[in-house]
Amino acid sequence: MKTADELIQSYLSDLKSALKSADRATVQDALADAEEHLRSALETELNEGEGRAENEAIQAIIQKYGEPEEIAGAYAYPGFFGVYADPRAWGGLVYMLISIVTGTIYFSWAVTGLSTSLGVMILIIGIPVTILFLLSFRGIAFLEGRLVEALLGERMPRRASFTDSSLPWKERLKILLTGKATWLSWIYLILMLPIGIIYFTVMVTLISLALACIASPVAAYVFHLPFGSFSNGQVIWALPKYLTPLLAAAGVALATATMHLARWVGRIHGKFAKALLVSD
Amino acid sequence: MIDIQESHKKFRKELSAGTVSLALLAILAQAEEPLYGYQIGKQIGAGDDQGDPPGVLVKQGAIYPVLRSLESQGLLSSRREMSDSGPPRKFYQATPAGKEALQGWVQIWNETKTFVDNALGGEYQ
Repeated sequence: MKTADELIQSYLSDLKSALKSADRATVQDALADAEEHLRSALETELNEGEGRAENEAIQAIIQKYGEPEEIAGAYAYPGFFGVYADPRAWGGLVYMLISIVTGTIYFSWAVTGLSTSLGVMILIIGIPVTILFLLSFRGIAFLEGRLVEALLGERMPRRASFTDSSLPWKERLKILLTGKATWLSWIYLILMLPIGIIYFTVMVTLISLALACIASPVAAYVFHLPFGSFSNGQVIWALPKYLTPLLAAAGVALATATMHLARWVGRIHGKFAKALLVSD
Repeated sequence: MIDIQESHKKFRKELSAGTVSLALLAILAQAEEPLYGYQIGKQIGAGDDQGDPPGVLVKQGAIYPVLRSLESQGLLSSRREMSDSGPPRKFYQATPAGKEALQGWVQIWNETKTFVDNALGGEYQ
């Protein structure tokens, strides 16, 4: 049979492990609150209670206080390392990496579409070709909106917007041709190429740098490869072996900071996409 | 298949987010002396005996983070006091700003009540 004190200690250690992704200050607060509560409640119970045994009373008190997982959830503000559990950060990371592909496709389509349309304008088929391309810009913009919502969490339209079908077709055509939505979508598709290149380059650089730092102790101690700069197979400068664990720690910090960056960029990009792709 | 129990839990959690803050602020604004967490929990009847009777929105442990958050917003102030047994206790009291905020909150609460009552109509009351 466990004593009340042991039960409190084991509750606190369960709570601590349930809080493992929170920062240290939060863990300390949560443990202090729990201990204060359990001990205060126990004291009151023993003074006024119906003469229950100490360890029975504490079990009831813990029951009322809540399961460790529940309580940990109530305190859950993500800490620095909590970012790894945040789907927005991973979504941002994936979005930034694939944006070089989507950006290239968008840009090519937007440029091809507009120049083809302008080129065939003098022919009779010019009008339908132009209409089809303009509609495709709106369609791609809608699909990009779905991608943005899925990966970045920014709420985007769930239905493609159609012009009011009660209007005569000439009016509808005019809205398609001169409407803000069409051209803002086109601008977005064009801008996605430079933006995608920047996102991809920055992310790949940061990720590979972080991974290289993290792997440096293994490279140094297991494979005897120095971490430094090389020229024609000659080592010009190398980091002393014993410093590589330090470098690995810096790599972990860099990887975590990169996740924060991905989450932050994701949020900004979501707002940017909404500003250009959603018109009222 | 919809998990009714799960939907109750989710609804209760969503509903408790704001109402617990209101209840805690109201109790501390009316209290004659500073109170510590356990006393506050007893007063709002959080997690009463026999598990969770209907009407109880929170576990006692869940009020502590809310107290901290109200304190960080400047609506509550706290001081630590040693206790005869166990760790020091944190005593909370409402600040003047907290009392002022409460008046606005009560108004919002009354509006919310009317809004929900209107929606529920006669049949569900």
